[in-house]
Amino acid sequence: MLLRSVFTKTVRDLRWPTFWTALALFVGGGYFTLLYPTYATQFKLTELLDQLPAAMKALIGAQVADVSTATGFLNIELFPMILPAVLAGFAIALGSGATAGEESRGTIDVLLSYPVPRWLVVTQKAAAIVLSVVVVAAGLWVGAVLGAAASNSPLDSGRVAEALVMAALLALDFGSIALLLASGTGNRGLGIGVSVALLVVMYFVNALAPVISGLDSVKQASLFFWYLESNPIRHGISIGDSLVLAAVAIALFLASLVAFERRDLAA
Amino acid sequence: MLAIRTEQLTKYYGKARGILDVDLEVRTGEIFGFLGPNGAGKSTTIRLLLDLIRPTSGHAEVLGLDAHRDRLAIDRRVAYLPGDLSLYGDLTGAQTLHYLGNLRGGVDTTYRDELVRRLELDPSSRIRSMSRGNRQKVGLVAAFQGRPELLVLDEPTSGLDPFVQLEFERLADEARREGRTSFISSHMLPEVEHLCDRVGIIREGRLLAVESIATLKERALRRLEIEFASPVPPDAFRDVPGVRDLRVDDARLSCTVMGSLDALVKAAAGFEVRGIRTQDTSLEEIFLAYYGAGPEAPHAAA
Repeated sequence: MLLRSVFTKTVRDLRWPTFWTALALFVGGGYFTLLYPTYATQFKLTELLDQLPAAMKALIGAQVADVSTATGFLNIELFPMILPAVLAGFAIALGSGATAGEESRGTIDVLLSYPVPRWLVVTQKAAAIVLSVVVVAAGLWVGAVLGAAASNSPLDSGRVAEALVMAALLALDFGSIALLLASGTGNRGLGIGVSVALLVVMYFVNALAPVISGLDSVKQASLFFWYLESNPIRHGISIGDSLVLAAVAIALFLASLVAFERRDLAA
Repeated sequence: MLAIRTEQLTKYYGKARGILDVDLEVRTGEIFGFLGPNGAGKSTTIRLLLDLIRPTSGHAEVLGLDAHRDRLAIDRRVAYLPGDLSLYGDLTGAQTLHYLGNLRGGVDTTYRDELVRRLELDPSSRIRSMSRGNRQKVGLVAAFQGRPELLVLDEPTSGLDPFVQLEFERLADEARREGRTSFISSHMLPEVEHLCDRVGIIREGRLLAVESIATLKERALRRLEIEFASPVPPDAFRDVPGVRDLRVDDARLSCTVMGSLDALVKAAAGFEVRGIRTQDTSLEEIFLAYYGAGPEAPHAAA
């Protein structure tokens, strides 16, 4: 029974959104690896990319990808933009709803009249969110591996997993921003709005840094920089960069505990 | 020991006043009615006691423990029914009771089942599709199921039909007989007057008075008319204790009596009495007569 604790209850609350998002990424991952041979032969991907202007290549992340394998194809199709957008958007939706959802629905009064510390409520909800993000990321991995197997495409499943870890950490950063803002104010819309705005701005700052000279000096402020800098799907996970992403998520999470602890909760 | 004690408890929302300098004492084992019109500060006071909001100044103790510092220890022994109860719409009544029971560390399911039966709650339907009254029943079972030492119930009877209201009163009375305390807010004195031992009235954020129901009844104002066999001298009644608004027209006397009728009856006994008619006023009217004019009005026990 999933009604033992705030953690299990939250897992239960998130089961359908998690399932559907995981399914979407499963289909997405499977689509690109399944159809990779077709793309590779019909569209002559390597030559196609070579013809693109530098700015365009930067935007889609093509300057770091090698499309001669399905792994590289995934790297260019999903990992620079679509995957982080979906994963981060998912984490933002969950993070902003963690406690602010209970506040706006009015259930927080009942919940916090039971002997559970506020920090533990936030922690259990955050743990359930981490689990959901992992499941959704795993959906893409399973889809990609099955698609590659079916189409007999070359795919480095270990590297894909490593890149997914980085993407999940990036998503949790944005989820934590949403968590901090929403649990610190009780305003879910504020949490979503600011996090999505930061997601978009940080994406463009990093993507355009190679071609716009002014951005190069500030690109380290973008979380996308730490996510993509080491090109994880090609070279494997970077311990240093993953630690930066993890540290940001943990710091924001701890700040959420403090912010939520001190607040007057909405009636 | 006191179940609840507040000292100069004050809460401002920005510049808007929530409550101001509330000194409240609720004794262990009593049923205390916390009365006041909507917006007077009842829910604010209750949410301060539960540490859902924090005071601007002042101090609150629940079961002898600090409302903020010892929140967990308090919540293990206290149950709370919010005024505007919201539960998880996608859970059934039974799932809700199961979840909330688990948050308390497990409860006696035999007693829960008894409560469900007595309140005639159908726990199988989802909260979302329940009427307001049925949701309130779920809230009441959730509050009572852990047999808490202190029940803090914000407008518990709102939305309940008379039968359920009666069963609720039995439950509160049983809790009292077991030595447990209930703190019940309401904006309607008649809803709680036969249940409570004492009542406090709050208006515009200030606690105006705390009285026992017995005292209020002593202060009961009664309209009285006495018909005599022959005209009576008004002076014979003018100084009778408790008599107000005295009018004597020949053989007919009318007045208002506060408290005991004894002195007036004895004074009347000196004459031949043909008939007596009385009319009781409700406690609500008494309260309003004493405290109704707001915080500026003179009040005996604030």
